[in-house]
Amino acid sequence: MSIAIILVVAALVCLLVIVGMAVVRKPQLSAASSGQIQPLDIDAFRNLIDPREHEYLRSRLSPREFRRVQRKRLRAATAYIRVAEQNAAFLVKIGQMALASPEPDKAKAARQLIDEALLLRRNATIAILRIQIAAVWPSGQFQGGAILERYRSVDRSAMLLARLQNPAATARVSAS
Amino acid sequence: MLQAHSILWHYLWVAPHVLQVALGIFLWHKGLSRKFPAFFSFALIDGFAQIILYTADVDPKISPLTYWHLHWGTLILEGVLKAAVIAEIFGHVLGSYETLARLGKNLIQAAGVVLALAAAVAAAYVPKSDIQGLVLHVFLLEQAIYLVESGLLASIILLSWYFHLSWGRQIFGIALGFGISSCVHLATWALITNAAFPPAKRTLLTFLNMGTYHFCVLVWWYLLAFQEDENLQPPPTIPPDDHLSLWNRELERLLQQ
Repeated sequence: MSIAIILVVAALVCLLVIVGMAVVRKPQLSAASSGQIQPLDIDAFRNLIDPREHEYLRSRLSPREFRRVQRKRLRAATAYIRVAEQNAAFLVKIGQMALASPEPDKAKAARQLIDEALLLRRNATIAILRIQIAAVWPSGQFQGGAILERYRSVDRSAMLLARLQNPAATARVSAS
Repeated sequence: MLQAHSILWHYLWVAPHVLQVALGIFLWHKGLSRKFPAFFSFALIDGFAQIILYTADVDPKISPLTYWHLHWGTLILEGVLKAAVIAEIFGHVLGSYETLARLGKNLIQAAGVVLALAAAVAAAYVPKSDIQGLVLHVFLLEQAIYLVESGLLASIILLSWYFHLSWGRQIFGIALGFGISSCVHLATWALITNAAFPPAKRTLLTFLNMGTYHFCVLVWWYLLAFQEDENLQPPPTIPPDDHLSLWNRELERLLQQ
């Protein structure tokens, strides 16, 4: 009977997931949801993952104080990566909407944007996991360079798609 | 009414599979068989196989042993066809993205192995009851197929959910029908196989299975025959320029360092 209960519970969980998909299946992208793209302070993030900064703090602070500060820095880095992750998710939605474009250039740019954003989202998930592990004993150095590199790559793809979708708006961005 | 070989029982066994074969013919007629070849094959082959199985059940010349052997063979065929449909769903939702195709394939394969092991463990610990021999093997195979099917579908959905991937209406319809059907069947077969219910209760669960499957075939009909895959309209500006400029400025600063 216990096997039956376990399997019935598993079936219910799967059913919830599947029916849940029916509710949130279509990507919702309204004018209001454009606020989902949040500016990201790359400088601050760079500073947080800078190995020189890490070594400097280690040399200047007591081990206990260093761990306390480092935990705070890791928490802050996580917050930045979460923003990048959310931006990537939003760009996936935008890319998927642009995929249907009859113009091959736009469709190609959209696919490139989606691929880059998906990779960023995947890397961000792994990075957050690594940070959480590092936060348990924060003496080692967290390598976040790959995330930055991926973020730049996603941005280039977003720029390309934006240029194809709306040349006027992109010109304004480039000029700012 | 809710008894084996009642009019409702005959209807619920035959009607969904006739509708399923008709759906297969419709898919072929509309050219959708090229877009969903595995589902098209499933609709036709499994539909005919179930009608043959029904005929074997009601034909007095067919012995019970022959019927259960036939049922066993049908289940194997159904399992293979369902695996192909799940691969097709994966291909439509995740497979077209270079970045995700490999990761997704690895994750789904791993989920498949775990689910197959879980099915084997569940089969190994089946309690003793009046169901034995070939019939028990058929019940265990039903349970295993639905466990793997529902688990794999849930994994694909969770993965696509996490990466915010959208589903076309038609592939969504196929997955929804399979998903609901496999989850309900998993629960009922788990109870039939493991809970030592009396035959009358087992018959009620069989009615639940047949009713659910009928509903799912209607879902397939509705979403494949009466709904087109929607074209998502790209937003007028991508991304919104004021946020983009902020974002871009920060990135430019990074690049200049």
